[in-house]
Amino acid sequence: MAISASALPRAHAEEHLDHEAELRKEHLMLDPRPRGEMNAMVMESMLTTSWKFWAIAALMALIVAVGLFGAWGYMISEGLYVATVNRPMYWSYFLVHTVFWIGISHAGTFVSALLRVFKAEFRRPFTRAAELMTTFGLVQAGIHIFAHMGRVWLTYWMFPFPNQRQLWTNFHSPLMWDFLAINTYLLSSTMYLFLPLIPDLAMARDRSTGWRKTFYRILALGWRGTEAEWTHLRIALNIFAFAILPVMFSVHTIVSWDFAAAMRPGWSSTIFGPYFVVGALQSGVSAVAMVVITLRYTMKNMDYFIRKEHFDALGKLMLVISMAWAYFFFNDYMVQWYGGDKWTDALLHFHEAGPAGWVWLMMLITNIAIPWLVLWNKNWRRNPWILFTVGLLANVGMWAERFIIIPVSLQINRMPFMWGQGIKFGVEIPIFIGSIAFFILLYMIASRLIPLVPVWEVQEGQMAHSIRKYGKEPVVSVADLE
Amino acid sequence: MTDNFSRRDFLKLAGLGAATATILTGCGPASRYVVREPYTKMPEYTYNGQSTFYATTCRECAAACGLVIRTHQGRAIKAEGNPYNPVNLGKTCARGQASLQGLYNPDRIQNPGQHKRGEKTFTDMDWDAAIGVVGKALAGGDFAFLLGTAPDHLFDLAGELSKAYAAAAPLRFSALAVFEARATLGEAARAIFGKPDNLFFDLSNADLVFSFGANFLETWLSPVAYTREFANMRRAKRGYLVQFEPRMSQTAAKADEWIPVRPGTEGLVALALGKLAAEIKGKVLPAFNGVDVAAVAEASGVEQATLERLAQLFAAAERPVALPGGAPLAQSNGLEAGKAILALNAFTSGGVYLTAPAAVNDAYHRPASLKEMAALIERMNAGKIKTLFVHGVNPLFELPRALGFREALEKVPTVISFASFPDETALAADYVFPDHTGLESWGYQRAATGAGQTLISGAQPVIAPFYNTRATADVLLAASAGKLPYADEVAFVQAQVTGLIGAADGFFGAGDLPSFWAQFQQFGGWWTNDAKLSVPETPLLDKALQVEAPPVQGEGEFYLHVFPSPILAEAGANKPWLQEIPDPMTTVMWNSWLEMNPVTADELGLLDDDVVQVISPFGMLEVSVYRYPAIRPDTVAIPFGQGHTAYGRYAEGRGVNPADLLGGDFNSAGDLAFSGLKVQIKKTDKKQTLSRLESKLGVYGIGEKKE
Amino acid sequence: MSSPKIPEFKAEWKEGEAGRWGLAIDMDLCTGCQACVAACSMENNVPFVGEKESGYGRQMAWMRVERLWEGQYPEVKTTPFQPVMCQQCGSAPCEPVCPVFATVHAEAEQLNLQVYNRCVGTRYCANNCPYVVRVFNWADFAINPIHANPDKDGKLVFPLHNQFNPDVTVRRRGVMEKCTFCIQRIHKAEDQAKSENREVVDGDVTPACAQACPADAIIFGRLDDPQSRVSKLSQDKRAVHLLEELGTQPRVSYLSGGSHGNLG
Repeated sequence: MAISASALPRAHAEEHLDHEAELRKEHLMLDPRPRGEMNAMVMESMLTTSWKFWAIAALMALIVAVGLFGAWGYMISEGLYVATVNRPMYWSYFLVHTVFWIGISHAGTFVSALLRVFKAEFRRPFTRAAELMTTFGLVQAGIHIFAHMGRVWLTYWMFPFPNQRQLWTNFHSPLMWDFLAINTYLLSSTMYLFLPLIPDLAMARDRSTGWRKTFYRILALGWRGTEAEWTHLRIALNIFAFAILPVMFSVHTIVSWDFAAAMRPGWSSTIFGPYFVVGALQSGVSAVAMVVITLRYTMKNMDYFIRKEHFDALGKLMLVISMAWAYFFFNDYMVQWYGGDKWTDALLHFHEAGPAGWVWLMMLITNIAIPWLVLWNKNWRRNPWILFTVGLLANVGMWAERFIIIPVSLQINRMPFMWGQGIKFGVEIPIFIGSIAFFILLYMIASRLIPLVPVWEVQEGQMAHSIRKYGKEPVVSVADLE
Repeated sequence: MTDNFSRRDFLKLAGLGAATATILTGCGPASRYVVREPYTKMPEYTYNGQSTFYATTCRECAAACGLVIRTHQGRAIKAEGNPYNPVNLGKTCARGQASLQGLYNPDRIQNPGQHKRGEKTFTDMDWDAAIGVVGKALAGGDFAFLLGTAPDHLFDLAGELSKAYAAAAPLRFSALAVFEARATLGEAARAIFGKPDNLFFDLSNADLVFSFGANFLETWLSPVAYTREFANMRRAKRGYLVQFEPRMSQTAAKADEWIPVRPGTEGLVALALGKLAAEIKGKVLPAFNGVDVAAVAEASGVEQATLERLAQLFAAAERPVALPGGAPLAQSNGLEAGKAILALNAFTSGGVYLTAPAAVNDAYHRPASLKEMAALIERMNAGKIKTLFVHGVNPLFELPRALGFREALEKVPTVISFASFPDETALAADYVFPDHTGLESWGYQRAATGAGQTLISGAQPVIAPFYNTRATADVLLAASAGKLPYADEVAFVQAQVTGLIGAADGFFGAGDLPSFWAQFQQFGGWWTNDAKLSVPETPLLDKALQVEAPPVQGEGEFYLHVFPSPILAEAGANKPWLQEIPDPMTTVMWNSWLEMNPVTADELGLLDDDVVQVISPFGMLEVSVYRYPAIRPDTVAIPFGQGHTAYGRYAEGRGVNPADLLGGDFNSAGDLAFSGLKVQIKKTDKKQTLSRLESKLGVYGIGEKKE
Repeated sequence: MSSPKIPEFKAEWKEGEAGRWGLAIDMDLCTGCQACVAACSMENNVPFVGEKESGYGRQMAWMRVERLWEGQYPEVKTTPFQPVMCQQCGSAPCEPVCPVFATVHAEAEQLNLQVYNRCVGTRYCANNCPYVVRVFNWADFAINPIHANPDKDGKLVFPLHNQFNPDVTVRRRGVMEKCTFCIQRIHKAEDQAKSENREVVDGDVTPACAQACPADAIIFGRLDDPQSRVSKLSQDKRAVHLLEELGTQPRVSYLSGGSHGNLG
């Protein structure tokens, strides 16, 4: 029973009718519309495109061309000196942004799979939006990993493929694990995105003409909606939902091992695995909230599918995750500090008192203080502006966390003569802006090509939900479909 | 060959010498120039994939270190020390290592040329025309040679040539000599030991060294040799080194004690130490009697207790040595200070020796004092010089601007430069007839100090001349048309070394010139087997020495300490790798800086990299501040070596030249009294970040003020 | 196709206590003169990077001379000058983290190799090196046109390239590099010894830094020969290893403190 009416105020008898209307207004699951109408609404949201959309898309494309590929191409031809990397800061923004995007990509699967496994009903309208975030976020992460490499044109050497020179990859390297984990995650999350898309693609196929019909016909793989097909789909989704969760956890854990397995003060920490996973969820769920809010207010008919209840639920999730993040942060800090190693001490001191001390402080404020102060209040978390801002700040905070962990921490090592020379801004900044634009552009293109709302899942949920009356009290009931 | 030195022995020795199985190769008696052959017809000593090694002499300074250059198919690849040369025994400094960057410098002058003075480019000429120009200049008389401290053979040839034309003797000069105040050192040596010879300080066997501003690990006299001596001293008995100087140099950093004495009072400190040590030893040395220790402590800023403790050390030491460095001598009281410091060596014998006579032409070869340079400038101003020949020196850069060389140069009708690089003086000349660089040249160099042996270090071309350059000696000989009895440069060098052929004590000997010449090239010179140092006579200490506190020049608050950059020295600025090598003390690369005590900087509100104006009575310059922890709060220091306005892409427009701040006062030996100069420091709004290797964060702390 | 040999986990990254080649550096003798740095750069075709880049941690010299400050004026002192180069660890932290085996341990020389051609530039090895001795080619510094002159046809000529040592690869942008103990000299000596049908003996090989060092503070030789100078020095009671507590088994020993008691 995911949705409870008990939270609603007990009302006098004459208000019961209003109460039921209120329940329907609040919960998408209790506000069913005819299937044909809903399908039409989704199709309409996909096909209604204003000039503003194209203007923004063109702008994004321009930013991608110049900021991402232009700047990156310049860097490839010139060498990495145009970026903010040096000795001893061999890694910097590129890996910050890699981890950032992998973090963003996490929430997609988390929201979709974990909530599916736990049958959290509020997930239904935005699982697809979240899953798209996974795939598109991973694309950005990949771009930043490649950009980070000194010789990107030899990336394929990371693949363990048989070759005449008998060169092999080093499976002892955390980077190799990372490479494989991210590839696994990209493949599995793409499949996990595609599977529940099939019935919706079939729906779109049946309601479109011209090139779109061909497009959907190919992608829908001949879906007809037979009982056998539904059964297979449900089984497959169940397997995937369970299987992808450990993949998701492992990916960010392995990303954290890139740092935790290294022999550096501040990095060599056993708690980095779960700390990174929670950090990823912190930024990812916040990003889901931001995306959901954006969709709600920019796409046609979305006000029906996405409601304040979803803001509310995401807000609660963000609060819980923020608490978990604070716990891990404190745990990591406490143990490192108590250890008393002189280099770690220097590093912690540098985090707080060094030139980037304000970033460290900002990280704590935006990741802990603001969510805790804001999200406990139901009205505030149901306010899209507030939720969006908190989500944005949480992402800024998580960017700051990675910034502290990578370039700032790399300023300190065991050879004080070779400590850092400071952190500047380099070509990473246009590349990052370009990658944000690329992410938005991919999302915009996807919103024109595939139904962003999983219609069949919403309909399935609505069929399962009903409002019954015990006496005059309306009570929500849910049937288990499986 | 001598009886007991066989070819087999030679090869054995040669094999031991360098890292790989080195064969020191001469060009053979018959050939004078390396000829670049087509690959199809390769000289027998050039095998594909095999390197050939040539012994020659380093020309980055005048210390006469021997080099062995590895060449590979006509290209010079790597410079190593010549393991036989007694000066450096196979070792090199950073400047020697980078000498190939001079040879292959992209800014070399590739052809003889002429231009209007001050223009950046030259119109190419051919060598016949160039020789014609030189011949006319020589025939016209009233010419003067201004030469560098290396190479010696050209100095000797110019001397003979000047004599043949009845012109004034050539002058030689180098900024390093200014900073070392060599004339003063010579005068002080004459006063104390009765002879003006160069001194050899035996650090190897010393158990206590008092160094008064002598940066013998950086640039002083013969740094490679003295670094070896220092290491020997540390290895054997671990001698105790005390460095007296206002700014911690590399030498002071290696010292056991650094005494930051007020500039100009080093001589007083030496006298006080002498007096105290004599009292402890119960010796009567009238030289030290006239000094008041308490007054010295007051003037120098060294506590009396410290003086007494050091004097006790000195008295107790078996073989103490006192070194008179450049800065204490380059004062108005420099000669007296030099005498006082040298007089400290009277407590023992065996610390200081007179160097062996040079193997060739052991006559005057001391660099000119600045007073002699001033005399030359006067003659130039008076129009008494029709032609000035400049070789191996860059007076427009190296001389203090206040001396007025630039203005005097304009009054000389013809200026001919033999520079290999477009330096300031070459651009101010009418003609530039580029000499080969040192590694393409024949020649020899005498060692002023650094080795006990009688020595001459030989130079030979290690590759065929890279550009259309010509040996200046050849140009002069061709232009003088038979005035001198030498066919060419090689004939001249051979004539000079002929006297050594039968010498008894030689490292090698030969019966005839061709054999001798071959070995001379193979070994990179000639030297005696045994040291030829002589113990100076009892020092003349019967008269009381007087050292006055120097009058202070300038109105500023801060003593200006100018020191030659240990990496760039006077002419290294055009070698990019030398620019990139961090200064040993500050780790700054590619620029100039002003060292200032952090306490002083705090008082003036200056952070690292803030640009300040340094104002002396003679000039002004702007330079970034380096908060240097080891300098007196009343002293600021600027390294010399940067601040070129020409000299190629790596040197030009980089840093500042502190010579612009220096004045024209001389001490009684004729050296520039630059050390007592006081300057004003004015803050500006500008900031110019110095490139340093060290992390400011790690070295100076996280809590350091942010910028 | 035969399957490539994959090293046993962990065991491969460790080796015996002794090692084969080693350096001993006497910090009491080192004067910080930078001759070793210059010699190394000349021998190994190390590019210079210019003022701006060198000030931002991109100086490419394979070794550096460290000094820190102690105390306040007038009792201020530097710590002894300390040349730091690749320590050729027996258990090198840089090796296991490279995803493509670009930094591997040589069985024959027992040195830590950097395979330039294989390097893809992840820079993990450098992050994991506690001595911070690895340098990265942030750009093609050596072929920057500002070092060139145009010839008659306008083609760029780099006179400085004549100096390149043919025994050492010239690295392009995007690869890591570091001190090799002048492995090209080791190989030459080994070839020579082989042709003379003998083992390489102590003294056959001198790396550029040791050859230049005017104070003879850098001693190179066979660590597995107990009679060699470097073996004896590394057994000396003055010998310490950098960051020994990390268990990297460095092959460079530093002799700290004076050899004898001070006079005073």
